[in-house]
Amino acid sequence: MSIDYAGFRRELESFVRSACPPEIRAVVAAGQKITKREYQAWQQILNARGWGAPSWPREAGGTGWDIRQRLIFEEVMAENDCPPLYHHGLGHIGPVIIRFGTPEQKARFLPRILDGSDWWCQGYSEPGSGSDLASLSTTARLDGDEWVVNGQKIWTSHAHEASMIYMLVRTSKETKKQEGISLLLVPMDTPGITVRPIKTIDGWHHLNEVFFDEVRVRADNLVGEVGKGWTCAKFLLERERLPPANVARLELMRRQVTQLVEGASRATAGLRDFSGLHHKLLMCEADVKGARVMMAQATDDLIHQRPLGVQPSVIKMTCADVAQRLTTIALDAVGPDAAHRFLAEVGDDVPDATWIQNYMFTRARTIAGGTSEVQRNVVANELLGA
Amino acid sequence: MSTSFPSLFPGMLLDAASRYAEDHIAVQIQGDPVRELGWTATLVPEEAGGVGGNLGDLASIVEGLAAHGLQLPVVETCAVVPLLLQAAGAETARRWLEAVAEGSVQIAPLTALSATPDVDAVTARHLDIGYELSGAVQGVDATLPATHYLVPAQVDGDDAIFLIDAERVGAPRARYRTMEGRLGADFALAQLAVPESACIARGASAHDARAKATDAALLLTAVDTVAALATLIRQTVTHLKERRQFGVALSSFQVLRHRVADMYVKYLGAKGLVIHCFHEHEQAAPDLRRTLRLAKVSLAESARACAESAIQMHGGMGVSEEVLATRMAQRLIASEFRYGDRLLHVARLLAPQACAPQVSLSNQTGSVR
Repeated sequence: MSIDYAGFRRELESFVRSACPPEIRAVVAAGQKITKREYQAWQQILNARGWGAPSWPREAGGTGWDIRQRLIFEEVMAENDCPPLYHHGLGHIGPVIIRFGTPEQKARFLPRILDGSDWWCQGYSEPGSGSDLASLSTTARLDGDEWVVNGQKIWTSHAHEASMIYMLVRTSKETKKQEGISLLLVPMDTPGITVRPIKTIDGWHHLNEVFFDEVRVRADNLVGEVGKGWTCAKFLLERERLPPANVARLELMRRQVTQLVEGASRATAGLRDFSGLHHKLLMCEADVKGARVMMAQATDDLIHQRPLGVQPSVIKMTCADVAQRLTTIALDAVGPDAAHRFLAEVGDDVPDATWIQNYMFTRARTIAGGTSEVQRNVVANELLGA
Repeated sequence: MSTSFPSLFPGMLLDAASRYAEDHIAVQIQGDPVRELGWTATLVPEEAGGVGGNLGDLASIVEGLAAHGLQLPVVETCAVVPLLLQAAGAETARRWLEAVAEGSVQIAPLTALSATPDVDAVTARHLDIGYELSGAVQGVDATLPATHYLVPAQVDGDDAIFLIDAERVGAPRARYRTMEGRLGADFALAQLAVPESACIARGASAHDARAKATDAALLLTAVDTVAALATLIRQTVTHLKERRQFGVALSSFQVLRHRVADMYVKYLGAKGLVIHCFHEHEQAAPDLRRTLRLAKVSLAESARACAESAIQMHGGMGVSEEVLATRMAQRLIASEFRYGDRLLHVARLLAPQACAPQVSLSNQTGSVR
């Protein structure tokens, strides 16, 4: 039976407009940082409606939607200023548990992701292994019915407020470097874990270093086979190569920055020349339109099981580039008034400063999830050979 | 490699145009291939003896020619002319469209290639015995012979379209070769007297036809740009793989690899934008012209950046016209200035009335047809 996508869109629109609390939508509309509180509240509302996990199969508690429905979902969410779904549980480890986990692991972890009671973070990167993930050195050794973990993770988003971490650990050094890696699920309140904040250029606290000192974890918290964690990691990365949220959120950001520039332009009444910014906004608008068609084509390829080729890399690069350009425009628009009051320590919120922080935060878009240089290598390999 | 550059408008028309372009790129154009190949009939309705095709069909031809670097005024002869003729009264339109479809007349627009067909370069005065036309039209495409010219003009505040014998218009004041290898000409009409019947449309019908011709010209020029970009990048990739410096292939230098990757990202973005424009055109979207202007400006920036990159990466060869990539670069830069340059379109986009309505695109599948 064919899906009535237009009817589906109307149903989503009707729901999100009535169900998403105005105070949450206001945070999103203003481009302010979305915290755990907003993420969790919205997750619980969606879950109560049965839409807590758009990308999961029905049997695991998901919606069973196809990729086009997911794309529509993300667009409707963005168009109506709803927060994106927090990805670490729903988009990353959830699907891995569904694919590789034991029945007991599924029963224990999945419902708590759906209802927002568990907040996950990702323990992949280490000080010595960023893009070269296979070189990681945090170890786990089996001691009775427990794994004992030692080492350090870095760039761990939200580790300070997460209840669980999924992490890659080295369980053997005697094989090829990819083969000695396992995937472990660890409660963050386990003794021996120390979380230390990393002060980032945007002034917000979201990144952390996480230290593991003789951390003892139940043996049955290992997902899949021992030494086969790389398979799980690859599954996760490939599955999330084409996140539909990126392009939809970009259009939201473009609208926000356009409003910001128009407002600033009116407010300064000719004292500052905004024509250059208007021109740059036009180019971003064109690029977003192009990116949305690219996303639609890639979606079509996914539905028809055609190879995606370099499309995910191109879309990722484009989205990161446009996001950086948009926040750069916002930085210029609010600059002189907001630049000297980066963080409000006393007094009311300083909304304009949010765009200074967004500008800084968005620098990470061309680094996280595979740098733009790595993506260019992927594209160049396709065109020129390795 | 070909899978990296899938065609925008695949099909028999594309194949035929590609083959023709491939066979004729290295020889001087003889006669009037556009009309001899029957392409002028593409947009002519079936009841007037035409094919009754759409802009997608014409886009296939444009893409096929552009991909091999052949310059023919297909947009002007096969899109602008029939769309302007359709503004005439039913009988007049049918008669002239029939003649266009069967190739018995050679009609060309007397418009500057750098301006859209809705811009007035000529003004007309209504006299007792007909009209008197005055104005200067610079940079008219004169690649193919013309027996008649279609002249958009302004008459007493009204849009109008005139159809005039080429002999009456007379010889151009200047002739030259354009940047990308077409023949250009400047015309001056000094109180040119024409009969009453020369005015084939006036008022709303002329206005609408000129607007449609403008949209078509912008859309097809965008297709030309994307096709030329694909060829430019393909040629650059081949050069980087074959050319050796310091004992290794150029393609082994990371800075060049990244530069060509950036070109490819721009190409895919441009292609997506053109597909979006076609969707809006098919759906007669209310903000079509705004989107076309946006595409025009965006494609101009991408195309020029890619053209300059390709010239640089071809080294000394990049400044020789013998190299196809160089000719594609010339074509891309010339296309920037066809039907309004980026400064003009930016000015229109930023004019106070040009506000952007919010459009949802999630129903798109990404296919043009």
